[in-house]
Amino acid sequence: MNVIEVKNLVKTFPSKNGKVKAIDNISLSIKKGEIFGLLGVNGAGKSTLTNILTGLTLPDSGTIKIFGKDFLIHEEEIKTRSNIATAYYDLNRSLTVRENLIVYAKLYGVQNYQKKIQELTEKFMLTSHLRTPIKFLSSGERTRTVLVKSLLNDPELLFLDECTVGLDPDMAEIVRDYLLQYNKETGCTIVFTSHYMQEVERLCQRIAFLYQGKIIKIGNAQSLLKELNLQRVSLHFSNNIEEAKKLLHRENIPFDENNGILVFWVKNREKILYPLLEKFVKYKIVFDDIHLNKPTLEEYFIKKSRENKR
Amino acid sequence: MKLHRITAMLWNYYYDTIHSADRLFDVFYWPILDIFIWGFMTYFIQGLSEVRLINVILGGILLWVFIWRASQDIAVYLLENFWTRNVYHLFASPLRTSELAISLFIVGAVRSFVAFIVMAILSYLLYGFKVISFNILHFSLFVLILFLFAWGIGLLISSFIFRWGSRVQVLAWSIIWVIQPFSCVFYPLSALPLWAAKIAVFLPTTHVFEGMRASLQGLAINYQSLAYAFLFSVIFLIISAWVLSLAIKRSKHRGLLAKPE
Repeated sequence: MNVIEVKNLVKTFPSKNGKVKAIDNISLSIKKGEIFGLLGVNGAGKSTLTNILTGLTLPDSGTIKIFGKDFLIHEEEIKTRSNIATAYYDLNRSLTVRENLIVYAKLYGVQNYQKKIQELTEKFMLTSHLRTPIKFLSSGERTRTVLVKSLLNDPELLFLDECTVGLDPDMAEIVRDYLLQYNKETGCTIVFTSHYMQEVERLCQRIAFLYQGKIIKIGNAQSLLKELNLQRVSLHFSNNIEEAKKLLHRENIPFDENNGILVFWVKNREKILYPLLEKFVKYKIVFDDIHLNKPTLEEYFIKKSRENKR
Repeated sequence: MKLHRITAMLWNYYYDTIHSADRLFDVFYWPILDIFIWGFMTYFIQGLSEVRLINVILGGILLWVFIWRASQDIAVYLLENFWTRNVYHLFASPLRTSELAISLFIVGAVRSFVAFIVMAILSYLLYGFKVISFNILHFSLFVLILFLFAWGIGLLISSFIFRWGSRVQVLAWSIIWVIQPFSCVFYPLSALPLWAAKIAVFLPTTHVFEGMRASLQGLAINYQSLAYAFLFSVIFLIISAWVLSLAIKRSKHRGLLAKPE
């Protein structure tokens, strides 16, 4: 069963040069219990899509069904069953952690909310800050407070927008573990936006890669990387690097240079890399070391972004 | 509409109030200052004439607090959510516009009554003015009309805040003072020049304060003019609510709720 079904979604915003398409005819479905990642560079449309799915922004056209119901008609019911955490917006800064959580527990109609607040603040190590106003918390503590708020109503659908930003590595790991456990135990669907590729790779079963308001690719991390079918070659030089660069230019192979290391990508070892290495030998261009690596999701992300920019 | 969401917002305003010296201060400070300034001045003027002015002036000050506080508090407590950047999470929650509006009506009304009670006690202690001089039925009718009109003003200012963000916050404090000179709070309608009277007669507040003076002096009340004031206020409130819902919709279209200023 699909928890989210989006069809032909379009959203434009006015800009100095006319209109900018923030969401360009996106169609997407997310299954129940799935952890779904949204990836993309700044301005790709991730946040706009999240804002539309949480009712903060209205689309120009297209349909949105959540829990099988039209979002615009059943907005109140859908919002009661879902929640959002974002590192970019705090709760009420004047109120203490406890006061904010009470307000939001009541807004979501949480029964026995004192117990729920106790449980979640213990889990996210906030019990000692319950009486502290949000404005006096560190950014990590604020992020944790927003996360606790997002879990108060045991949401069936959870939107997490950069929810581990500002957390120290230990705490970020606790949050990731908790989210995986929560997803496993409750079957909650999670829509996850993050710039930490390793986090997305670890948590998300499927990923949509957005660029300029369009979904460029959609699939699981393995399939995306397999589709990429690339290997990263790093050649380490202590001298001869200029000759090596000239050779790569002649062969039309784009590369990056960093501290005496030339990095480039090859799709086919036999047809490209081996003949290239033979040319290195032929022109007596000596390198100290060579590394061949499979790309990470981060490298996929960077490569796709660059391809689309071109 | 759900009661628990209205209650949630009332808790939010309560916590906002106890954490903010400004919010506590403005319930008492200006109204008390008004009682002193106008009271003392009236004492002075009264010495120059035969007419007993103190009741009329204090009655005006006491009733004015209902429209002043109620309209201003709606806008200020809404602004508080913009200042504290709480708007994002509030509008991502199931809170409906009607629930937000009702919670703002309630907070405005409660704070108006708190200020009124303090001022009433002070008026009695300083000048021997008894609030019970008001006919309770007349008083209830006056307060109802003033609340309806104040809520309409509050919602209209809220619409501007949703449309243009907190940069138009000055309206929250200033709009009501534009209305006051034409509302005949301290003087009768007949005291105004013709051009000003044409504006004043249009405002529901003028009819309320004219009625208040009649009531305090034991004269007959013009119920027809109060009926006009009531109807005007109800229609104005409905239009303001409609404008607010349009402003919120427009904000959502422009994505402003996701990046509140």
